[in-house]
Amino acid sequence: MVQILIRGSVDGSSVPEWLLLELQGEMVPRHNSGLAGNVMGDLLYTKEGVPVLIVGHHILYGKQVKMEKPFAVLTKHSCHSQVSLTSHDNINNRDDVTQVPMETNQQGPTATSYSVSAVIKRKLIFKTRPKPIITNVPKKV
Amino acid sequence: MRTLEEVQATLEIAKLKEEDLQKTIHCLSFGENVSSADYCLMELDDTLVKHIEAGQSLVIRGDKDERAVLCSGDKTYDLKIADTSNMLLFLPGCRTPDQLTNSQESSHVVHTQIWGFCNSYWELRKQRPKLKKLKKLLMENPYEGPSLGGKEENTENRYTMQDLLERIQASEEELKAHLETIHACQIDGYMRVLDFDYEMKLLGHVTQLVDSESWSFDKVPLKTSLEELGPLEPKEMIEHCLNCYGRRYTENDEVFYALHEDRVCQGVALLLLQNAVKFNLREFQEVWQQSVPDGMSTRLEQLKSVALLDRTSRPETICLLRVEDLPEDTLERFNHLFTLREKWTEDDITPYIQDLCGEKQTTGALLTKYARSSMQNGIKVFNSRRPVAT
Repeated sequence: MVQILIRGSVDGSSVPEWLLLELQGEMVPRHNSGLAGNVMGDLLYTKEGVPVLIVGHHILYGKQVKMEKPFAVLTKHSCHSQVSLTSHDNINNRDDVTQVPMETNQQGPTATSYSVSAVIKRKLIFKTRPKPIITNVPKKV
Repeated sequence: MRTLEEVQATLEIAKLKEEDLQKTIHCLSFGENVSSADYCLMELDDTLVKHIEAGQSLVIRGDKDERAVLCSGDKTYDLKIADTSNMLLFLPGCRTPDQLTNSQESSHVVHTQIWGFCNSYWELRKQRPKLKKLKKLLMENPYEGPSLGGKEENTENRYTMQDLLERIQASEEELKAHLETIHACQIDGYMRVLDFDYEMKLLGHVTQLVDSESWSFDKVPLKTSLEELGPLEPKEMIEHCLNCYGRRYTENDEVFYALHEDRVCQGVALLLLQNAVKFNLREFQEVWQQSVPDGMSTRLEQLKSVALLDRTSRPETICLLRVEDLPEDTLERFNHLFTLREKWTEDDITPYIQDLCGEKQTTGALLTKYARSSMQNGIKVFNSRRPVAT
């Protein structure tokens, strides 16, 4: 049987809250260079608090929503040896269970565990059809 | 990195007026980690959010041939991956309008990283823990009492609490609650169930002592019981028996037990029923009443979920049928019940499906889903939705 631990707090500090951006469709990098490091777009808010997203030559209007079911962002850790947890990592924080060895049934030394990096309770959702921004508009009409 | 001027140029092209906008502009770009796939999203309910914010951990448990479940300290959840057609991006440093201070005089850019994105997430659904395996494991080596006359005690197939946590798909609290239900106890560091005959032997000692001392069933003193019965059985076992069949309380610094009439009578009934396939109901009721301690009354209601009555046969009969021996899966359970008996009244079947109910689910809802109802002699009965060999 496999037991995979999801650690709540790595060092006793509280879990940060992040924001979620929900978009319809897929994002494709312009030059096939992969997404990492690239600019995605600009996020603005109107004075009324409506979020506006400019991505490429599209403009999208969205809204802020409190999520009925919040998300946790889990980061995966693979260790190359058996990981032992001390009592303060124990689920119920009890003293009489001191070691919870993390093992997998697989041959080979990797053990997987996760930690919670953040909690997400609110999101900006952009559901409306993007409007194109026409760029070559002559300044003088 | 985009500059304020570049952003303002974009705004102009997009025909957005700076005076309609708030001063903070988040310029979003993808972080370096974004494509590494070493992260994922998991949906939470209110309880889990509080759990995580309190810094507590969760565990995923499952064998290779089982579906994974997620356990907190006291609850079990089914784990599934849900796909969405939407892109979900998560931003650590991004603020919402209500969080922005409008003290800034002029527009400015905040470079914000997109830490990751997903189009699927783990979906959790609270479910009843899979505990049938627990009794099965512990029944591999039930405790029959201290070894007699130098006979070696069987030390194989013994499980500690830790062993059980690694094998059973349930949270620790749910596991402990079930251990109590099946009258398990810890002996030499291992969790053990008692062999039923031994358990009844212990109970017999206790009830005979109560009778010979003329104690009230409501006031059985622990200290005297241990003194009198200590020579016959280990004191821990006597106390365990009292804990299973009585309610412990303290009065004037002394510990007493109030014996549960229902539990004691049920125990005696099980002892009688396990020795035959079926019993003539009337004969059984007579023997049963005679076998329970003087002063206790037997009632058929005490046998709900452990024995089944057949009032349609002549003579009427009763047989052993324990819900804990039935299949755990809902569909399998219904199939099994309908194989035993083609048509069930709601009263008869309810004790055998009660434990299948999820949160906020009723037995009525289960019957609607898994059975078909009809009227028989003016009474509503349920039968299988599919052909079942009886």
